[in-house]
Amino acid sequence: MKRPGSSTLAIALLLGLGVAAPVRAEQWQSPQMSWGVPDLQGTWTNATITGLVRFDEIEDLVLTPEAASQLEEGTADFFESIDEVPEGELAAGENVGGYNTFWMDPGRRLARVRGEIRSSLIVEPEDGTLPYSWRGYYRIAKRLWGLRSFDNPETRLLGERCILGFGSTGGPPMLPVLYNNHYQIVQSPGFVMILVEMNHDARIIRIEGERLPGVIRPWLGDSIGHWEGETLVVETTQFNPGQNFRASLRHFIYLSSDAMVTERFTRLSEREILYEFSVDDPTTYNQVWRAEIPMLAADGQIYEYACHEGNYSLTGMLSAERDEE
Amino acid sequence: MTRLSRSIGACLVCALFSTLSVAEDTSTFVAPRGPGGKPDLNGTWRAMSRANFDLEAHAAKSAMALREGPIEPVPAKEVVALGTVGAVPAGMGVVVGDKIPYQPKALSKKRENQKNWLALDPEIKCYQPGIPRATYMPYPFQILHNEDALFFAYEYAGAVRNIHLVDPGPAPIDSWMGQSVGTWEGDTLIIVTTGQHDQTWLDRAGNHHSEALRVVERFTPTSSHTMRYEATLEDENIFTRAWTMRMTLYRLVGADAHLQQFNCVPFVEELLYGHLRKNPLE
Repeated sequence: MKRPGSSTLAIALLLGLGVAAPVRAEQWQSPQMSWGVPDLQGTWTNATITGLVRFDEIEDLVLTPEAASQLEEGTADFFESIDEVPEGELAAGENVGGYNTFWMDPGRRLARVRGEIRSSLIVEPEDGTLPYSWRGYYRIAKRLWGLRSFDNPETRLLGERCILGFGSTGGPPMLPVLYNNHYQIVQSPGFVMILVEMNHDARIIRIEGERLPGVIRPWLGDSIGHWEGETLVVETTQFNPGQNFRASLRHFIYLSSDAMVTERFTRLSEREILYEFSVDDPTTYNQVWRAEIPMLAADGQIYEYACHEGNYSLTGMLSAERDEE
Repeated sequence: MTRLSRSIGACLVCALFSTLSVAEDTSTFVAPRGPGGKPDLNGTWRAMSRANFDLEAHAAKSAMALREGPIEPVPAKEVVALGTVGAVPAGMGVVVGDKIPYQPKALSKKRENQKNWLALDPEIKCYQPGIPRATYMPYPFQILHNEDALFFAYEYAGAVRNIHLVDPGPAPIDSWMGQSVGTWEGDTLIIVTTGQHDQTWLDRAGNHHSEALRVVERFTPTSSHTMRYEATLEDENIFTRAWTMRMTLYRLVGADAHLQQFNCVPFVEELLYGHLRKNPLE
C-alpha cells in the first residue's frame, strides 16, 4: 500500500529527472467486492475541526504546518476551557449550560486532503465561502427568523424534532458536526448503503437505478449511483422540503428541494476515503460550489443513536414556552 | 384411448408438473449461492402473517382498542372513526405450541398492556421495534450481505441493525434494537440478539419481554422466494421456558422490492406534542 503523499513525492522526483512518471502504477489499488466494484466498506468518520467555510482572517485554502499547529492547539484549549462544570447546586432559574466537552466529538485535527492541510472544506469558490444569491440570503434569513418561534413543533429544527441528525450530517452533502460523525458503508450487488450514525439513517443508494416518482421526496433525497473507475458517484435530488434548512453550531446551509448534490467517494488507502461533493442549486447560489472532506477509518462499531424515543427536549422547549406565556 | 382423452391426460400431467414446480420441494431446496458460498439473502423481504396484531391465534375483531358496549365490546372512542380500516383480521398464530408460556405476573402485565394498547404500544409512538418484532411488522426490510458484512435495513421507523460476524462480546449497554451476532449453520443463518432493554413489545396484543431477553433467529431458504423464519425467545424474568415462533418470509420482486422510507417521527408529533402547541387544535 502506498500513501498519496509518497506517490506525489516519487512523481516529483521523476519529473525532476526528466523521466515520464508512471502515475497509474503508483496509485493505491482499492480492494474489490466479489462482483467487481471497489470496496468502500467499513466504519468511517468525517470529524474534523476544519469548518465548511474558511476560518476568519485566513485567505488561503492550504495552511502552513505552523499555522495548522496554532489552530489545532487553540481549538484544544477552547474545548478544555468549556469543560468546566459548575460546582455545587445552581440557584433556581440560573442557566445550567449545555454540553460539556465530554459529549462533543468534533475531532481534534484539521482536514488533510492529498497532503494539504485545509482551512475550509469548501474548495470552490476559491475564497471558501458559500456563494449565496440574494434569494439564498433571503431564504436563510427567513428560516433563521422563524426559529424564534416555539409555537408549534414544526417550527423547530429537524435535529430538535429527531427527524434527522442536525447540520446535514446525513446530507447529502454529509457534513461533520459537533458529534456522532460516523458512517458505516455496506455494499451488495446493485446497492451501496451508508448508515448515518445520527439518526440511524440508512441511505440506500441504487446503482444505475431509476428515479422515484416525483411525488415521493424522501428525507436525505433520492440517491442514484454509478461507478466511474475507482470512484462511486452519487447524484441526489428530490429532497423533502422540510430538509431545506440544515443547521448546526458550526454552519448552516440551505438547499432547495430540487437542488442536485453530486458526491464522489474514492478510496485512497486502507484507512481513507476522499469524499468530494458539489452542490448545484441555481435558485439559492450564484454558482456551483464544491467541497472535499477526508473520511478516515474509525476503529470500533457504531452504537445505536435513538433520538426520538428519548426526546424529552422538544417537550421541554414547548412546555417552557407555554409556561412563559 | 381417444385423441381427446390423450389430450386431457397430457394436460393433467402438465398441470401436475406445473404445480410441483411452483410449490418447490422445500426439503431438498438448494438456495442459489451468494457471498462466500452462502445462500444469497440479498433482497427485500416481508412477512405476510398477522403476527404483528397478535402472535397467538386470534379471531377477527372490530378494533385493537375496545370498550364495553351494551351488547358486546365495541371500538374505543379514539378509533371509532377508522371503521373497517381499524379492524383486526384473524390470524392463525405463529407460536409453536399455540400459547406463549408466561409466568403468572408477566401474563397479568400482558393483559394490562392489551387493555392500555393506545397509550402503551411503542409502535403507536413510532419507537424502534426491537427484535424479533422488526421482522414481522407490516413493512418490508432489506438485507445487504457479502463476505464481510451483513446488514438489515427496516422500512418501519428507519430501524437498522448491523449483524456482527465476529462476536464483539457483551453489548456495552442495552438499546432498542439490541446487539446481533450472526453465524451460519449449513444453509441457515443464525442470529443471536441480546442487549435489548425492556421498552419494546412483541406485537400489538401487548406481548412483552424484559431486558434479559435472548432471541435466537434462524433464517432458512425454502424456495427461491421464501425463507422459513424461526425465533426462539428466552427470558427468565417473563417466560417459564424458551418458546419459538415460526412463519414464512417472502422475497419481494419488481417495484414492490424498492424499500421505501417510513420515517414516522413527524407523523406522531400531533399525538405527542399537539397539546403543547400555542393554539392546540380542537
